[in-house]
Amino acid sequence: MIAAALMALGAGVLVALSRQVNARLALGSSALGASLWNHATGLAALVVAGAALGAVGGAGLRPQGSLGAVPVWAWAGGPLGVVFVAAGAWCVARIGAGPTATLMIAGQMLGGAALDLAAGAAGTGWRLTGVGLILLGVAAARR
Amino acid sequence: METGGGTERRGGGWWPRTVALLAGGCLALMVLCNAEVGRQGGVLWASLAPHLTGSAAALLLVTLLGARWRAPGVPRWAFLGGLSGAATVMLTSLAATSALALAGTLALGLAGQAAFGRAADRWGWLGLPRRNTAARDDLGLALVLAGSGLILWGAR
Repeated sequence: MIAAALMALGAGVLVALSRQVNARLALGSSALGASLWNHATGLAALVVAGAALGAVGGAGLRPQGSLGAVPVWAWAGGPLGVVFVAAGAWCVARIGAGPTATLMIAGQMLGGAALDLAAGAAGTGWRLTGVGLILLGVAAARR
Repeated sequence: METGGGTERRGGGWWPRTVALLAGGCLALMVLCNAEVGRQGGVLWASLAPHLTGSAAALLLVTLLGARWRAPGVPRWAFLGGLSGAATVMLTSLAATSALALAGTLALGLAGQAAFGRAADRWGWLGLPRRNTAARDDLGLALVLAGSGLILWGAR
């Protein structure tokens, strides 16, 4: 349990670390340039990791099912990620990593709650209270 | 205000804040897309596919818009942000299968992200300037994290 908690915390730290490193790169190039490097090095790392796992008996780079069955809209994850990474690098240089993280988390949670509602999830009291607290937080962090 | 330039100095204006909020919304959509790819192709492809289409999209945008991608004089490590992003996927999927479940994993991840950002501002980590954080920023962060926790556990 403690190991899992550390991994979960670590995953969040890595998100912010990546944003900070990309902001540094964007200072010497551009936010979009940093996003390009981010995706290219991440792609290379995943290909190497996938191939290595395949070499020791894992599934490797081969998809488990059929990628042809992936709906067209789901391929938009990449371009959305380009916007997300470029925006992160751009915002950190302007308002700092703290407010950037706060507002990106707020946007992610509000967007996720909206998507859940659109998918027919019940708008429970807990969730609506959560949305209200986040909106208050955004208001507090404004300007 | 004790900081020299008053609110502007702390601020940076409302525009970057709006961009950060909207980009967070993009991330919610992205998670949905990548999960759908993962359902068909497995956990590696949930990350591989967006990195493939993302690399192509970024290359296209950089070319079309003429954005600077060369970065002379920037330390080598600054090119490695993508590694930490790729590793995130693995840690998240490992932790989510533990007793923490997805809600606990995501909530701790958000807390870790916010704590790093706060510390990076305070001590000026990784070549970026130090920033004074206002009490209002901490209040905003606490409210956003509390609200996120309620949404994540309320969804179960």
